[in-house]
Amino acid sequence: MLRLLQRTPAITPETPDGALVQRAQKGESAAFKALFERHVVGVRRFLRDLLRQGDLADDATQETFARAHAQLAKLTDYDRFKPWVLGIARNVAFEARRVRQHDVLEDDDDSTPTAVIPSPDPERVLLDAELEKHFTEAMGTLSGNRRAALLMRLDHGLAYEEIAAAFGWSIPTVKNEIHRARLKLRAQLLPHLTGERT
Amino acid sequence: MSRCGRTAHLEAVALGEASPTLAAELRAHTKSCALCRHELNWLESESALFRQRAGRDEVAQLWKGVASRSGLETPPRDWPRVLVAMAAAAALVLMVGNAAPRASRSADGSPGDETLESSMLMTPAFFVEEESCSKLPSGVGFQCSPVVPASFLASR
Repeated sequence: MLRLLQRTPAITPETPDGALVQRAQKGESAAFKALFERHVVGVRRFLRDLLRQGDLADDATQETFARAHAQLAKLTDYDRFKPWVLGIARNVAFEARRVRQHDVLEDDDDSTPTAVIPSPDPERVLLDAELEKHFTEAMGTLSGNRRAALLMRLDHGLAYEEIAAAFGWSIPTVKNEIHRARLKLRAQLLPHLTGERT
Repeated sequence: MSRCGRTAHLEAVALGEASPTLAAELRAHTKSCALCRHELNWLESESALFRQRAGRDEVAQLWKGVASRSGLETPPRDWPRVLVAMAAAAALVLMVGNAAPRASRSADGSPGDETLESSMLMTPAFFVEEESCSKLPSGVGFQCSPVVPASFLASR
């Protein structure tokens, strides 16, 4: 009866990830669910970008969080739940792609262009349906690792150090991969952003 | 990419990670350096594209799949406990309230006022119409008010 009346601290949007991780590690399922709700949108988008298929991304998202729950005790840097779970998502996506066996697993062509002028006006950039299609196609030409690194940096705001930790890479490698991914993305999107469509 | 030595810092400006001082300094620099200006334009455009994509996301109800794979049940929340407690308290009050008249009835062997009241209120015959509603002209509606029998009022 006393246990029923015992109150745990409320989970609010201000509750930091680190506190939720520690509570989830003690078996509080509400804390893990809060982590899920906080990160599921980003993780699913990350997986959709890697897998390029919505239904696969849904399944991979569920698998990612199920693995995260199973391995949560291993997370000792409590505040780094986001890079940690994105690292798991990356592994899940690569496994799924190996099963599908029709995606680029090796590094993509490094012969990327260097000229970048003219540049678009950032305030006039509008992601309409056509541009989104080109964007998706451009992302699809990047190798899995390169795409994942770029997404972690630009879409999910991870620092280079966090990406390096998630990938098990050195920081210069992360920077190099993201730089190359950016150049390729840029070369493919720039004509559509500056009106110089080919 | 540009070859200006400050290019490497532009990413931090575009992503909002640079300090206000550094950001202001680099933005001022871009006014005189075409390479850095174009680079910053691109980086900010790129950032805008990713932001716009993120704003459109929809997430299906995926928690059930996670919960079933992880053996997690839907966690109980605090508010249902409060509701359960309130409902239990209300039920207790009702039980005590209902038990009291029964006790008085059994004491004198005849039905008490409360029993009469509740049974009468549940009986259609309790309502005596002053005038049959069917006799009223159409559109008069709601003029058939139930009348409490004088005998009942007298017993109160």
